[in-house]
Amino acid sequence: MSALGAVRLEGIVKRHGAFTALHGIDLDIRPGEFFALLGPSGSGKTTTLRVLAGLESADAGRVVLDGDDVTAREPGERDVAMVFQSYALYPHMSVAENIAFPLKMIGTPRDEIDRAVHDAAAKVRIDHLLARRPGQLSGGQQQRCALARAIVRKPRLFLLDEPLSNLDAKLRVETRVELRKLQRSLGVTAVYVTHDQEEAMTIADRLAVFMDGRIVQVGTPAEVYARPANVAVAGFIGSPPMNLLAATVRGRALTVDGMPVAIDGDPGPDGDVTLGVRPGAVRFADRGLPARVYLVEDLGDTTIVDVEVGERLVKMRMDARPAVHEGDPVHLAFAPGAVHLFDGASGQRR
Amino acid sequence: MTPRRSRSLALGVVAALVMSVWAVPVLWGLLTSFKTERDVLAYPPVVIFAPTLANYREVLFGSASILPNLVSSMIVAGSATLATMLLAIPAAYALARLALPAKRAGGFYVLATQMLPPVGLIIPYYLALQKLGALDTYSGLVAIYITFSLPFAIWLMVSYFEDIPPEMEEAALLDRAGRLRALWHVILPQVRGGIAVTTIFVFLNAWNEFLFAVVLGGNRVRPVTVAMFNFISVEQTLWAKLAAGSMLAMAPVILLGLIAQKHIVKGLTVGAVKGGGRR
Repeated sequence: MSALGAVRLEGIVKRHGAFTALHGIDLDIRPGEFFALLGPSGSGKTTTLRVLAGLESADAGRVVLDGDDVTAREPGERDVAMVFQSYALYPHMSVAENIAFPLKMIGTPRDEIDRAVHDAAAKVRIDHLLARRPGQLSGGQQQRCALARAIVRKPRLFLLDEPLSNLDAKLRVETRVELRKLQRSLGVTAVYVTHDQEEAMTIADRLAVFMDGRIVQVGTPAEVYARPANVAVAGFIGSPPMNLLAATVRGRALTVDGMPVAIDGDPGPDGDVTLGVRPGAVRFADRGLPARVYLVEDLGDTTIVDVEVGERLVKMRMDARPAVHEGDPVHLAFAPGAVHLFDGASGQRR
Repeated sequence: MTPRRSRSLALGVVAALVMSVWAVPVLWGLLTSFKTERDVLAYPPVVIFAPTLANYREVLFGSASILPNLVSSMIVAGSATLATMLLAIPAAYALARLALPAKRAGGFYVLATQMLPPVGLIIPYYLALQKLGALDTYSGLVAIYITFSLPFAIWLMVSYFEDIPPEMEEAALLDRAGRLRALWHVILPQVRGGIAVTTIFVFLNAWNEFLFAVVLGGNRVRPVTVAMFNFISVEQTLWAKLAAGSMLAMAPVILLGLIAQKHIVKGLTVGAVKGGGRR
């Protein structure tokens, strides 16, 4: 396996008629990195992947792979492999023929193909299914077959378009671990599209958060989680996502519904702000923001408590089931170091 | 008898009545083909009779043999089908897949040609072939057949190509297949059911065609549908031989239908259910 796979996207613009899907995407992906493109539906992450693969042409900008400008090159000339959301297995071919297809297309000798097919199938543990047709495989096995077809010709770049979304929840968790291990063992660069923030957080070395055809933040999962760049990212990352409350800064003091809220550091200039706090950083207190318990959801190892603060719902995550009941009046406090502030007008982090 | 049983019995009777509209003439023709001319004209009609193969011997090897006409039909229908499919497959693929300008207008034009009544085209076609010196030639008749079989074949094939997920082809493109090899290795094997259905329909239409054949053909190119007219004259109609000739003319069609029955049913329901008509 080559140590190649550096990706650079420079100012990629993609339009579909009057609609602009990508507004100048700039991105650097390092060799060997597992990089996730994360965002809600329609945010442009899949379009970015398709531009990178050469399946869609960019209206402006450059795609550079390992220093080569490949913007004008056909998909087959880019040395990238892709696993599609639907797997795109060829139904009229056996598993072995599916895996062998990329090698057959480049004229690899028969015995070499057989060896490579067995190796690739063994890596994803489907070497006992080689004679079957895709229609005779379970969803998980089809997914492995698609993976084997992608890894068999040892591409410099491995593109995955929501490859786990058709699997059930349990298999999805198992497969993402295996996928990560496989990528590490191959040492190949992987670009992974997902709308599932939990998946991106657990699997990726770094990720780019897409919103409305723009990248709003790039960083490691820990960085993006700890310091979301704006309100949209804050509301998207985390499960349950960050609580967002309208707040006011007056004379260096922060208030929510007129109640002072303690934070570490300076809240910045006067004005309306959005206060963000993770569910795990909200606590019951003797004094603080008045609220009422709305719902207690016991998830076994954790408990999610929904409380009403005025008209809004605030989620709290607790390790132990608290001694509160629906309808109880309570007071809330936030861990001072865990409060995020975003500008009320622009939504950008303060 | 339970209401359920009586309802299914009633349904069976109705189905048999409807089926008989098609089946009785064919079965009557089959019986007639084994009768002597005397038995054919007997009144009241005879159902029990001594069967004979004389009519078949006569229409195959006698003075009015239709063998050359069967060969003529085979050449015309076979050539028209082959040419149609060779042109229709890439055309339908292009209409289904490529981002072509005026694709919708093109697709509608293809369908619109099917709306023209054939009889309205006879005179222009006759004049065109006459000017080209192509009346009563295989190339002339085949060319005319292609003009109406090609739009039909394209229209039918497009739905099969559209049924294949685009990612399948994109995967092949990424695997360095290129568009032509992706079409050959990945797409065509998946639409082979559609190709079979379309081929059969095109062949059947060409084989059964009468109007163009009788006007644009002649003594050299005389398909079997036209040749059957030999058995009808002002003085008499040779019913038994006509029936034997009809049975022979129908045989390839019925054989094709039986072989491809499964594909034809699927072909007729293509697009009815998502992915239901494929393969």
